[in-house]
Amino acid sequence: MAVLEKDEMLRLAENAVSAALKKGAAEAEAYVYEGQATSVGIERGQITKSSRIIDRGLGVRVSVNRAIGFAYTNIIESQNAIEDTIIKALSAARASKPDQDWKGLPEKKPYASAEKTFDYKIFELRSEDLGGVASVMLDAAANADKRVFPIEGGAGTAYLSNAIANSNGIAGFDKGTIIECSLAAVAKEGNTVTPVCFEFNAERSYDVDAEWVGKEAARLAVSALKTKRIETKTTKLILTQFALQELLYFTLINAVKADSVQRNQSPFKGKIGAKVASEAVTIYDDGLFPGGLRTGTVDGEGVPRQKTLLVEKGVLRNFLYDNYAAKKEGRESTGNASRAGYLSTPNIEATNFHIMPGTKKAEQLMSEVDDGLIIYYLQGAHSSNPVSGEFSVVATPAWKIRKGEIVHCSRGVMLAGNIFEVLKNVSAIASNDRKMGQLIAPWMLVENVKVIGK
Amino acid sequence: MKDILSKINDAAVHKFGAEYAELRVQNLSKTMLTLKEGRVEAARQGIESGVALRVLVNGAWGFASVGSFNAETLMSAVSDACKMAKAVSARLKTPIRLAETKTVEDRVQVKPKKNPSEIAMEDKIKTASSINKAILGYDRRVKSCTIDYLDLTGTNLFANSEGTCIEQDKLYVWSRITATAVKNDVFTFSREEIGSTAGYEVFDAETPEIIGKRVAKRAIEQLEAKTPKGGRFPVVLGPNVVGVFVHEAFGHLAEADLALAGGVLASNLGKKIASNVVTFYDDGTINGAFGSFKYDDEGVPAQKTLLIKDGVVTGLMHNRETAQKFNVAPTGNARAEDFRVEPIIRMCNTFMAPRDCSFEELLEGIRFGYYFKSFRGGQANVDGTFQVGIQEAYEIINGEIGEPVRDASISGNTLETLFKVDAVGKDFELGPGRCGKGQTAFICDGGPHIRVREVTVGGSA
Repeated sequence: MAVLEKDEMLRLAENAVSAALKKGAAEAEAYVYEGQATSVGIERGQITKSSRIIDRGLGVRVSVNRAIGFAYTNIIESQNAIEDTIIKALSAARASKPDQDWKGLPEKKPYASAEKTFDYKIFELRSEDLGGVASVMLDAAANADKRVFPIEGGAGTAYLSNAIANSNGIAGFDKGTIIECSLAAVAKEGNTVTPVCFEFNAERSYDVDAEWVGKEAARLAVSALKTKRIETKTTKLILTQFALQELLYFTLINAVKADSVQRNQSPFKGKIGAKVASEAVTIYDDGLFPGGLRTGTVDGEGVPRQKTLLVEKGVLRNFLYDNYAAKKEGRESTGNASRAGYLSTPNIEATNFHIMPGTKKAEQLMSEVDDGLIIYYLQGAHSSNPVSGEFSVVATPAWKIRKGEIVHCSRGVMLAGNIFEVLKNVSAIASNDRKMGQLIAPWMLVENVKVIGK
Repeated sequence: MKDILSKINDAAVHKFGAEYAELRVQNLSKTMLTLKEGRVEAARQGIESGVALRVLVNGAWGFASVGSFNAETLMSAVSDACKMAKAVSARLKTPIRLAETKTVEDRVQVKPKKNPSEIAMEDKIKTASSINKAILGYDRRVKSCTIDYLDLTGTNLFANSEGTCIEQDKLYVWSRITATAVKNDVFTFSREEIGSTAGYEVFDAETPEIIGKRVAKRAIEQLEAKTPKGGRFPVVLGPNVVGVFVHEAFGHLAEADLALAGGVLASNLGKKIASNVVTFYDDGTINGAFGSFKYDDEGVPAQKTLLIKDGVVTGLMHNRETAQKFNVAPTGNARAEDFRVEPIIRMCNTFMAPRDCSFEELLEGIRFGYYFKSFRGGQANVDGTFQVGIQEAYEIINGEIGEPVRDASISGNTLETLFKVDAVGKDFELGPGRCGKGQTAFICDGGPHIRVREVTVGGSA
């Protein structure tokens, strides 16, 4: 596979920085990105498509009199396009207004190393091989139960690299690979069609378990066939990683971002050292977690990634910072600047938001629930109040637990509450942490959540 | 460029074994702004240019995307795409075929009164700053305000192996405005979106003062609002909530790809699934609306599609692939966000048709219920479960609007809920939005005020 080499990308970034300074920028930063993705797609139970996407680009950020301008282009073979981009960044800065809180771009610091983020086997994988991965998954689902119908999914790999340089001498480079496979399935029996049940596996090295994904999607779909109504009441919930990802992304993860705190958009303002969750809850943001899906050495503005303690046994310890938010408070960035490739300026984002596992096995956690629900998929979490943490969502579906076992599922069950109250009501955490997007988390047992039956 | 495209399409069909090939060339410029409490975070400008190539070989799709117009690069990309499609086709049980369409040669030009590409960055910053001022100046309890602005201009060129060749200008102006207010321990949140394919003149009607006041007023009113009771209640929905219901709860089910993927509508075509007063359309031809265009990304003209007529399902939204499966004509709903992705079935402007009730008539007879005026977000599952979060709501007590309610949401099963629509208003509003289905699409949705006999309301703890 032909990719841009480290030296080539760094040189492109450094040249853009010096050209911007020559054209009158007070400070300049250039970010060069390459992404190559190969995938095969499943539609209605068969593999119907294959795709290969190559995306490269350059983003240039400059300051002129403390006003910030940014421009990008995806045409990087052309010197003219690059020149033009630099000129546009400068003109944007000149049109903009000075920001008195702007205290400059970050300074150079040594990078830690990141483990298990690149696998040559993924890099070399072809779409035919991915077809094999997808077939294993499809067959596993189909063979599990004949009531199961795989709907969509696929298998894909990506190679991502980026280089960043700025006028303070930063020169960072990072590359990584990722492989993932996913399957969505329904089960049908008579006139009953279950909600879509979904499983996936994503890894940085070539060890996805396609068979497990297929079997698990099938198991969930079949277990959703038997439905019964449940009553409106206050109950115990096991939140699986799917549910946690939905609930936390728009609420807790926002609440620990320093810009939310500084802008009065976080209920955690002024709460460092205060108890914000049950004692069972310890959370790190770990940009260096070995093999983490968001692990890397360099953040979106060239600051070293790091491991930051956010919540320690329920007590709030720290927030997530980029360079701008940190300098506003006279602190150091926690390496949490994130970019959408070359298309955007840096924003504060969690890396691997790691809720530390407990000691109980998942089966044991479940076996101790006398009466409750287990929640996988949620709908509507993005309509939560991102500031207050109030949510009112639908479980699609919810599974009823009685005497430690799943007895049936129930559709249209709404869960309502406040995510910050939920965190205080966590009574146990299982040991089964897994990677899901920016979350690394185990199952959580939560007490006293209001559920509205249908 | 057109010569290169036709050479590549020819090579795909005559040399690399494709039965169909298409190329989409994109040449777009974007301007973006983010203001936080009036501070310009970064003024941004970008170029996104590239080519998407899609081929059908032995009934399987191959797709490639490259950020280059170089003829050699494109030739090697199309050869790879054909090879990949061929490899995939080996396991295919049901090969993909496409519905026939007329070949088209056209040049579509936009003629905005105010072309955003000709408006200086300073003026765009000025508009956003005025919105910010209107919001933060409304009340001291408004604590934060974020304004995102985007405009996109340029040209797309579409050419396929059947002889269709369309050059189409693109123009979008969009802004999202959010504000939060705080009083003691109560945090409230309010958002609004503006979107148009007409031009920058959208801000002449939706002036910064009007938008700003609407967003700020809602955040402040919610500070005093109560939380809703959970349970099942009669509700009146405003056009904004009806729109998101039509789009999320019904519209996605009427996308033929999702209908085929186990959705509940495939088996309900021609059947009654809603009360008599329910009529839904998807219409890509409304002038200036955020979801409008002349041709979709398969070169099929946009059209007005009747989805439900008087409670009966009359049609689905199709691309050429699903149209062939259902043996109907494609409806012009194949859209790709950009050259990096393949076109998929998307809505355009989706809405409920108005009838004859006044707002007062809708409230009449409700002893206790809710008036849901504006939504925060919505989502649906192919089994027909939907959820809509509400950002502006009021109690209805004895047929009158009562006190404000915050952080409510509604949920139910789409088909059950459609039968419970028992009265439809005579007013009509269409509003812009963005829809996520792996890719982002610019859309509109809307309708009149309606009454639903009963829906599940998620209350707070």
